[in-house]
Amino acid sequence: MPLFSETGSATILEPLPFAEWQQRPAWPAVSLANTDPVEDLAPHVGRLRLIVLSFPKFSDGRAYSQARLLRGRLGYAGELRATGGVLQDQLPFMLRCGFDSFESDQKGFGEALAKARTLFSVVYQPAEDDRAPASLLRLSRHKVLSPRA
Amino acid sequence: MPDTHFYRPTHFYQYDDYDRTLVSERVEQFRDQVRRRIAGELTEEQFKPLRLTNGLYLQLHAYMLRIAIPYGTLSSRQLRKLADISRKYDRGYGHFTTRQNLQLNWIKLEDAPDALAALAEVDMHAMQTSGNCIRNVTADHYAGAAIDEIEDPRIWCEIVRQWSTLHPEFSFLPRKFKIAITGSPNDRAAVRVHDIGLRLWANEAGDVGFEVIVGGGLGRTPMIGKTLREFLPRDELLAYLEATLRVYNRYGRRDNLYKARIKILVHEIGAEKMREEVEAEYAAIKDGALKLPAETIEAIARQFAPPPLPHRPAVVAEVEGLKLDDREFALWLKSNVAPHRMAGYRIVTASLKPAGAPPGDASAVQMEGVADIADAYSQGEIRVSHEQNLILPHVAVEDLPAVWRALGRLGFAEANVGKITDIIACPGLDYCALANARSIPVAQRISNHFAELARQHDIGDLKIKISGCINACGHHHVGHIGILGVDKNGVELYQLSLGGDVDFGKTAIGAILGPAVTADKVVEAVDAMVATYLDNRGDGERFVDTYRRIGAQPFKERVYAAV
Amino acid sequence: MAKNLSGDLSVASANRLVDGVVVFLDDAGQWTTRFELAAVARDKRGGEILLERARAEAFGVIDPFLVAVSEDDDGRIEPISLREKIRASGLTFDAIAAEAVRYA
Repeated sequence: MPLFSETGSATILEPLPFAEWQQRPAWPAVSLANTDPVEDLAPHVGRLRLIVLSFPKFSDGRAYSQARLLRGRLGYAGELRATGGVLQDQLPFMLRCGFDSFESDQKGFGEALAKARTLFSVVYQPAEDDRAPASLLRLSRHKVLSPRA
Repeated sequence: MPDTHFYRPTHFYQYDDYDRTLVSERVEQFRDQVRRRIAGELTEEQFKPLRLTNGLYLQLHAYMLRIAIPYGTLSSRQLRKLADISRKYDRGYGHFTTRQNLQLNWIKLEDAPDALAALAEVDMHAMQTSGNCIRNVTADHYAGAAIDEIEDPRIWCEIVRQWSTLHPEFSFLPRKFKIAITGSPNDRAAVRVHDIGLRLWANEAGDVGFEVIVGGGLGRTPMIGKTLREFLPRDELLAYLEATLRVYNRYGRRDNLYKARIKILVHEIGAEKMREEVEAEYAAIKDGALKLPAETIEAIARQFAPPPLPHRPAVVAEVEGLKLDDREFALWLKSNVAPHRMAGYRIVTASLKPAGAPPGDASAVQMEGVADIADAYSQGEIRVSHEQNLILPHVAVEDLPAVWRALGRLGFAEANVGKITDIIACPGLDYCALANARSIPVAQRISNHFAELARQHDIGDLKIKISGCINACGHHHVGHIGILGVDKNGVELYQLSLGGDVDFGKTAIGAILGPAVTADKVVEAVDAMVATYLDNRGDGERFVDTYRRIGAQPFKERVYAAV
Repeated sequence: MAKNLSGDLSVASANRLVDGVVVFLDDAGQWTTRFELAAVARDKRGGEILLERARAEAFGVIDPFLVAVSEDDDGRIEPISLREKIRASGLTFDAIAAEAVRYA
């Protein structure tokens, strides 16, 4: 299936399924089912270069939480790939949750990926993409207008 | 047509350019998604969640657009725009729902982006009014005006609205997610039958915080929510919600559509375990980016500061006189007018339940009429109650006769609020693809039968709630009399229940009375229930009080003798 | 009036994509809003063929399906289920605005 990444450099490392990987935790690429406990990866995030998460159906949103925990809680900084039901209309959410590569056979996916970060110039809540939510921007705007110690 | 009305300053959250940008970007995203769907680039399966999270259902006859009315609060300008949109893109009327939204029943997909763009002009939208995401956060419809309010819950509805809108982690939940907030000990928001209910209260130290109640809901398996946290400091609300939603998103069931709500998760793992999971997640995030700075809270709270109402007399000779001269005005004062935190004012309910009419519907003309009355007499503000009525929250006592007459000209002055003909009914099989039976004709028959006002006031407070299917959008489980339409071998039957309640801090699920009855027997059945009450009632007892005292048996005997 | 309620008769229906309007497949394989022009399949196999045809013509409509109908002595057909009756003829009460469709 076609592989897309924002940086254009998705790794070719073969991920091991979680159960197998647990026997060989030195291997730097793993794929998780969306019911696998991401917390178990905590001691290994420094070593891992690829984690693949799964959307069995595009409407099954468990991997969004897995992604956020990996990025935010565990501090994982390697490639985070989405596989399964991966459609362009969910890209803004996936990007915000920290995914940076995608397996999809949907027509036009690549073009959509190129534009996905520009669809929304305002976000309302913090996620894993370091975008400042509107509430934060309002605070700094207020400070600019009425500077006080 | 140029907008020539004078717009009063509003006393609730006003969009800034961030809010407006987000809404208009969402409209443009949806416009493109509609284009791709019509061109065949998206299948219906791929498109369905996209249109649902923009409020567009497919019903029996047409698409239905469910417009969000956050915390049930509208300016007169917004209500006029809704009238406009109903004329331009629909058939000139709309239905106010049990979640404080407005439904238009005859929308075309190809017009939907334009209708949403029109809504955006008055800072309105239809985002997340459907789909497996966090829905419109509802509040007490007397918020900001109620005499018993601790803090205006709408401040928090707005904070939660923003946090939950296009939340990237929670847009594909196991199922829909509904949050309600009350700022008063008399819970008018039914918080204990929501996925999350929040109740503002003040502890002994005088600090205001939230009781967090999780896992309530109606539908197939009605449940009353469990208190997960007695007292949550206000600035930690979003962290606690995020923790709860994350636990739900990870562990909520996805194998069975009918077991996918958070109430099932709480039921299956137990409240104790649920609390453990949520508190653990919350502990990890509570001091992070979701902690609400005092300034953010205050900036929003300021926008809900009550309108500066000039002092007006509490006792007015004209009103006293009219009360004596005109029995209908007197009855209207009793049923449709509630106390306000200021003595010279009242909260007026416009009854959208005229005898024999589909409950909760308003035509474009009626909506504009209410907007005009709001401008003249209620600070330009209107509320939508979850009982499918409209509310004018700040009416001076002196203006009550004029408001009564003006509402009367619209057909919205029936003195029946809280009475037997103030029926709550879902759209039912006439409109809805999910329904098993019709609900509106049943409501109309009951309404016509009990139309006589003196009789209604004698019967007193009695809430009849009708649902056309087990999804319970008519909230039948919590009706004093609940009526559930079912389909048995192609025949519409109606199951009757008694003793449900969501008022005054009391939440109870009604008990089924006996075998379901045919449509033509529903009125007889209700008649028999009312007769049983009238024959047995003690001093000051409402229908539901008598039922609680004497039990179901006397009602059961009389009903099944009559049908 | 005697009705053929054997349950074998069916028509194909769907909602039109652009406006959600209820439509029925006619003999020419076109989608019509007029129920009385719907092509009628007379037995189970005929129904399967009709549904296949409807699915082949599904561009522009959403999820075609079969509706069981009965036929009276004059050859007039009517949906058997109340839901489909309502879909075919509209609301069973007078909605507020004059333009609402009325069940005859």
